[in-house]
Amino acid sequence: MKDVMGIIYTGEGDAQLRELTLYRAIAALPVASRYRIIDFLVSSMVNGGIKNVGVIMQKNYHSLMDHLGSGKEWDLHGKIDGLHILPPFLTRENVGLYPGVLDALRSNTNYLVRSKQETIILSNSKIIYNAKMDELVRFFRDTGADMTLLYTTDEGIKRDEAGTYLSLDESHNVTDLEVDPTHPSYNNIYMQVMVIRRELLRELVDKAVAHGLHSMDRDVIQRLVRDGTAKVNAYEYKGMCWNIDSVQSYFKFNMDILDTAKRKGIFREDMPVYTKVRDEMPAYYGDDCSVVNSLVADGCQIEGSIENSVLFRGVKIAPSAHVKNCIIMQDGLVQEGAYIENCILDKQAIIKRNARLIGPQAYPIVIAKDVII
Amino acid sequence: MLRKKTCVAMLLAGGQGSRLGILTQNVAKPAVPYGGKYRIIDFPLSNCTNSGIDTVGVLTQYQPLELNAYIGSGAPWDLDISNGGVFVLPPYQKVKSSEWYRGTANAIYQNMAFIEQYNPDYVLILSGDHIYKMDYNAMLNFHIRHGADATIAVRPVPWEEASRFGIMNTDSEDRITEFEEKPKNPKSNKASMGVYIFTWEKLRHYLIEDENDKKSSNDFGKNIIPNMLNDKQILCAYNFNGYWKDVGTIESLWEANMDLLQNPMPIDMHDKKWRIFARNPGMAPHYIAKGATVADSLITEGCEVYGNVNHSILFAGVIVEEGASVESAVVMPGSVIRRGAIVRRCIIAENAVIGPGAIVGEEEGKIAVIGHGVTLPAGVSVPAGEQVDENYTF
Repeated sequence: MKDVMGIIYTGEGDAQLRELTLYRAIAALPVASRYRIIDFLVSSMVNGGIKNVGVIMQKNYHSLMDHLGSGKEWDLHGKIDGLHILPPFLTRENVGLYPGVLDALRSNTNYLVRSKQETIILSNSKIIYNAKMDELVRFFRDTGADMTLLYTTDEGIKRDEAGTYLSLDESHNVTDLEVDPTHPSYNNIYMQVMVIRRELLRELVDKAVAHGLHSMDRDVIQRLVRDGTAKVNAYEYKGMCWNIDSVQSYFKFNMDILDTAKRKGIFREDMPVYTKVRDEMPAYYGDDCSVVNSLVADGCQIEGSIENSVLFRGVKIAPSAHVKNCIIMQDGLVQEGAYIENCILDKQAIIKRNARLIGPQAYPIVIAKDVII
Repeated sequence: MLRKKTCVAMLLAGGQGSRLGILTQNVAKPAVPYGGKYRIIDFPLSNCTNSGIDTVGVLTQYQPLELNAYIGSGAPWDLDISNGGVFVLPPYQKVKSSEWYRGTANAIYQNMAFIEQYNPDYVLILSGDHIYKMDYNAMLNFHIRHGADATIAVRPVPWEEASRFGIMNTDSEDRITEFEEKPKNPKSNKASMGVYIFTWEKLRHYLIEDENDKKSSNDFGKNIIPNMLNDKQILCAYNFNGYWKDVGTIESLWEANMDLLQNPMPIDMHDKKWRIFARNPGMAPHYIAKGATVADSLITEGCEVYGNVNHSILFAGVIVEEGASVESAVVMPGSVIRRGAIVRRCIIAENAVIGPGAIVGEEEGKIAVIGHGVTLPAGVSVPAGEQVDENYTF
């Protein structure tokens, strides 16, 4: 895997994530008590033996940069390669916002040219997965493909009028692909993760942007498949995955991993997920607390009752406070007598004494960062 | 030539800690787990980092493998820097002789070359045996202000226990007039904490002199300090009033863990300005299932609780199965308490498995201990005060 590098594109649209992405990219969204989405992607790459990871930043990338730092937590702080943070900058082609991953890659042509690895894994940042990247690359090499797409048949990540669906022959070659169909004809959902030769990617990006094309799936992959100019095949990811593109799907992911089987599907012993460490002491449970079906991070102090909830580091639940079906991010506080249900509290939010806040299950209430209620 | 350092710390981590019984069979005492996610050595190392001391030599001798691996590059404590950092210093072979560290002073003597590299003004001597949070920089300022040759950190102990400690008798200006090891009739209740700051020039002189004295036992408390006092050097006592716990025995290690469950906690572990750093196992957050009960406990990442946990401390990756009950217990990383097992007033070392329905410890009496990697058969009973290792027969 010395010859493989990873690039993560973090510029996806985030309109449906409301306040959650006000200050951060989707990749920097806090999930599962102590992680950010990008932790799963970077850890997958690192566990697969990749030592050169580039992260293309778009807007609001401060929190992402802050989180990744020097890449130390992922052992990406060495002298040879390591973590490359690629923030947007003004060029003739780019005036700030990338219309898509192609333009972002075009802006970072230098990074593509300078890197030594011949193979690239290119990943999006809104689908959470934990894949064996070395097996994906082996498939790519053994089949002599120009491009291998990672796909799943997990319907959970399917979206109405969105997503790319693949038709495959017996040897897993892509014979057709549909982009954003209303009624997809195929069950194989492209996970927006691909393996490709570095030189080919550079070439494709250059040509596409020169022709004013912006969609990787429609303008590049689909053409390759249709014209038969490159061997495009697909590799099935059989693990768990989640598509985080709305408040509902964000909420669902966190609630899903309360299920032990699902949690073990993404937190695998042989493929640990690394994250920035905060050195908090273990969580403290008080004498009269009650805890049912919940995930709790270090530094929490639980004296009230929590049920079906995900608590991040440093959260305090006061005595007689009641928390049900909630996600409470770092350093949140729920005071005495408060009752909250179906809520997502962003970092440092405070629910005051005796407050009641009940959201509908299908549309959880989002309390923005630092808000006091 | 390395850049000069004002103060270099030397951490004595070579002791076996034999009173910890089977807990230190395969690891040195400073590597013994504590408080749900720490090891004892995290306290002096974090204190160094928080005090602005960035050059630390760790002297190892007894079972160093796990300790070495744990310290690694020193990154968890921000001690992976180019000018300074943490260095593991085992005994080594020399041209004329090769020998083990014979005593605390001899261990430092054998590593004088390490200290000299940094040409320090002061040397801080620490041990890896205690749980405490202390600002060594404040102590260093005290040392400098008093123009001392050596400063010894002391803490008040109950008078009736003073005869168990090394006691410092001082004048009104904190200058030590007399040092008594375990005095029958103590004149003071200021006990040495085993934390010393020396002006390096002086210490070097006394280390060489002590090494030439064939009758010396090469120990700071027994030789270096008394010799300096005899020579009328300026020795001062630095008063420390915070939480300090010697975790040298099974009972005291258990007690020190239980101290973290007191309200308020006698040692503030939530202080963001003085964090205790530790190497992170990188596991998922812990999970409390439906039907589980937890109360008055500390639980950390990787744990899965399906049974009952009360007044206990669970380290990373501990699994408490349905119907199992954990009461006033310290359960170290990776151990599993199977269905229906009862563990109480005990310490369960790393990666042990308590079989279904087994009973460990009793409601009263001494602390029971289950050793590293031991698998306890289903249904057996381990009485209070027993230590069960791999060779134990039921």
